[in-house]
Amino acid sequence: MKRIILIASFILMLVIVFISCSGEQKGTTITIWHQMQVEGRAVLDSVCKDYLLKNQGIKINTLYKETEELRTGFQTASLANAGPQIVYGPSDQVGPFSKMEIIMPMETLFDKDSMAKYDTKSLTYFDGHLYQIGDRIGNHLALVYNKKLVPEPPKNSDELIIMGKELTKDIDGDNRIDIYGLVWNFTEPYFFIPFLGGFGGWVMDDKGNPTLNSPSIVEAFKFIVALRDEHKIIPQECDYDMADALFKEGRAGMIINGPWSWAGYAKAGIDMGIARIPFITSTGKWPSPMYSPKGYSINSNVKSDILPDVVKLIYYLTSPAVELEFTKVMGTIPSRKEAQENSLVKDNPLITSSKYQLDVCRPMPVIPELRAIWDAMKPSYQAVLGGTISPEDASKTMQEEALKKIREMNE
Amino acid sequence: MKSAKEHRAEFVFKYIFLIPAIIVIFAVVIYPFIYNIILSLSNMSMTHFRDWRIIGFGQYLKVFSEKDFYTVLGKTIIWTVVNVFFHVVIGVFLAVLLNRHLPGKGIIRTLMIIPWAMPQYITALTWRGMFNYEFGAINLILSKFLHMPMVQWLKDPFFAFTACIMTNVWLGFPFMMIIAYGGLQAIPKELYEAADVDGATGWQKFWKITVPHLKPVMTPAIVLGVIWTFNNLNVIWLVSNGGEPSDKTHILVSYVYKAAFNLYRYGYAAALSMVIFAILLAFGISFIKRTRATESIY
Amino acid sequence: MSRKDSKIKLAIIYIFLIIFTLATIYPVIRVISISLRPGDRLLSTSLSIIPEGASFDSYIKLFSDGRFIRWMLNSLLVSIAVTITGVALASTAGYIFSKYRFIGKKAGLTAILTTQMFPATMLLLPMYIMISKLGLINSYIGLIFVYSATALPFCIWQMKGYYDTIPRTLHEAAIIDGCSHFQAFTKIILPLATPALVITALFSFMAAWSEYIVAAQILQEQEMFTLPLGLKQFQANMTTEWGLYSAGSVIVSIPVVVLFIILSRWLVSGLTLGSVKE
Repeated sequence: MKRIILIASFILMLVIVFISCSGEQKGTTITIWHQMQVEGRAVLDSVCKDYLLKNQGIKINTLYKETEELRTGFQTASLANAGPQIVYGPSDQVGPFSKMEIIMPMETLFDKDSMAKYDTKSLTYFDGHLYQIGDRIGNHLALVYNKKLVPEPPKNSDELIIMGKELTKDIDGDNRIDIYGLVWNFTEPYFFIPFLGGFGGWVMDDKGNPTLNSPSIVEAFKFIVALRDEHKIIPQECDYDMADALFKEGRAGMIINGPWSWAGYAKAGIDMGIARIPFITSTGKWPSPMYSPKGYSINSNVKSDILPDVVKLIYYLTSPAVELEFTKVMGTIPSRKEAQENSLVKDNPLITSSKYQLDVCRPMPVIPELRAIWDAMKPSYQAVLGGTISPEDASKTMQEEALKKIREMNE
Repeated sequence: MKSAKEHRAEFVFKYIFLIPAIIVIFAVVIYPFIYNIILSLSNMSMTHFRDWRIIGFGQYLKVFSEKDFYTVLGKTIIWTVVNVFFHVVIGVFLAVLLNRHLPGKGIIRTLMIIPWAMPQYITALTWRGMFNYEFGAINLILSKFLHMPMVQWLKDPFFAFTACIMTNVWLGFPFMMIIAYGGLQAIPKELYEAADVDGATGWQKFWKITVPHLKPVMTPAIVLGVIWTFNNLNVIWLVSNGGEPSDKTHILVSYVYKAAFNLYRYGYAAALSMVIFAILLAFGISFIKRTRATESIY
Repeated sequence: MSRKDSKIKLAIIYIFLIIFTLATIYPVIRVISISLRPGDRLLSTSLSIIPEGASFDSYIKLFSDGRFIRWMLNSLLVSIAVTITGVALASTAGYIFSKYRFIGKKAGLTAILTTQMFPATMLLLPMYIMISKLGLINSYIGLIFVYSATALPFCIWQMKGYYDTIPRTLHEAAIIDGCSHFQAFTKIILPLATPALVITALFSFMAAWSEYIVAAQILQEQEMFTLPLGLKQFQANMTTEWGLYSAGSVIVSIPVVVLFIILSRWLVSGLTLGSVKE
């Protein structure tokens, strides 16, 4: 018996060694790690294939990693002096990556004329250096409404509440609400931020200091709690997947969600429209979701001999033609000014509405301290929702926690 | 007595059988372990990512002076003890039930192993969905079929923790059941028959025959069960969506993850990991000593 | 079992087992529902098992995507290799720990367990550096090595524990009768330890089959992916393709269950297989 096992394992080892020697890559290989959604991946792979036809002698290897993993995986790989040459993701990864010196400054690699062709919102700077060139801007929350239930979106928060109350009802008499006026992942700070802006507050000031202990945030907390407890137009408990399910099932008039989800709603057969999150009647301000570009950064480990190839590839991937391919499939707003003028962008009603919302959005800070602020906000915010502390106390606690974590981060 | 030749043969045999396993196990762990010891004595963080230096025990001081450390440690211990308790009790109970002539037991056994077989990611998230207050299966069963009040599973810290425990128990009992079942096979039937002749009750048979025989087989499972549960980051993270509500369902390893990957405090994370290691080491050594698991029962 | 249980006792046991089994299976059935449900929805407000508009689309898409089959073959390769390694090394090392004396035996046993105690999060970085320096990135050898190292501590203890229940006198009798140590092992002791071998095999297989984190670090090309990595391709922060992911999860569970069914045959008392009356 043992002999059979020994022989079998020996043969197996040989097979494995044979297979796993994937062979040395001849020529330059450029690896891109990204977190693009499934439709985007297909586009990326096809435009890369096109590029290879005109540029023999290099190979491109694209690898998808989920956003969190992309960040942690890149950190780890970089520390081992390995990792992809190019990393693609949202702009907030720039802050920590550049502080840890695992991506390189790019402003010397591209000339000024080329840079001017990009929408300034899509170029991410940190500490005075350019660290990421975006191929699209957006990633922002907006109000998505089910036209069957909500023919016209509400213009302000009072209208929102009235509409919500009309919609929210128990249809089959079993004492459970069957349709909600509004659903969204309101327990997550990122999804709460628009309302913070709507009440005149923000997460940090120009210098990056957290500004969480403000009356605006207290007002914003109270507003959300009122939506749930007083006006009862949002469910008691609603996380991302639940909101998504309810809206797809046609059990919600409106949802607040970002562009990554819109195609899914269309596919689920919802006749949907995009609108600005209604402005807050009491302040007259529009809620300001965060927007961020998504783009390409270069690993600081990249050697100077392949750097020109890497730069050329990035320039290609952010060219108007390529960006419009993504727009066709995913409805994204391109970063090249030339592409933004294209009819694909200008004549698409969803994109126009999305841009309309984008106009009142604020850029997501890219500094690493933002992560500390998220971590500080979440527990206290959820405690307010859970009713265990008052909004005023929450605001104070958040601020203290944020300052503490920022201090620890910078030790 | 053995001749010199016999001694040599035994010696060679012993070490040929032993060494490969030892090498495989330790080769993989030694370098990372030493690396972490060094890291834990360093100041590696976001601002000192590539240019870190050894600074002594500063990180350890930070670990122990963090006020949340002790509450979270307590929670972790409760999490571990409750989980392993139910894993073992349910596992052994089921194994004993199945260890008899029972037509169809093969099917039951196979179905019971599915929680272990299916990828944790989706089953944990499915459980999370079942705990939803309004739409989740658990509350629906509670209110419609058992006429009991619905529970705010995920919003209340205590119930959220309970939800995580329930999910983890579901995930973990098949493992203990199989181990116990395997162990039961080694118990000679004659012992039970003799006990029956002597008029022993089921309870007495269980404690005097079954348990001592199961001990050598269950002990490693329990020790490892404790270690894995203590360090299980995934299940809690998935069911409670990252510590909700309000970070109240975290255990120690979540802090390691957040320190390293959210706040980039690698030195601190390494020190915390070393502390966790020390705690588990102390447990492991004392448990093994007390159950004398390194010895045979014959 | 020669002891007969009363009919009433059996009935109670059956009822209990059936209820328990149903409760155990319920979440799994829900996962199957997700895989049949159109529209990539993880949650649903209805409790029905067969969702509205149910279809096998996800499964069809899964299999027509050539990558899935590739991933499955990769996983099989790695998992079988780990199983063979695990069984071979654990059955032998465990035997020595059980029946022989040597210096450092007790310490060694405990030390083996300690390798599991360190939180995995912080082991990843140095492990990556190590594997990278050894040039084993994107190869299966490194992966198999690491998985075996993860599975062995438990398996060695398990084998040892089982060997402990086999009387030493058997072993000594074999030696006196003229067997070499190796023969005593293979012909007498090993056949009695089949339940433990089953558990070792199953555990080693699972350690490799369902592992994600280390594979994600080591494997860099889609064609090399193992199943957990492959499934992750369907997952994203907020746009997971739940239909595909759950269908994949269902398929991924099947080999494990099949393996278990095959191995269960040997999950019976070794004592009934041989002539081992004291």
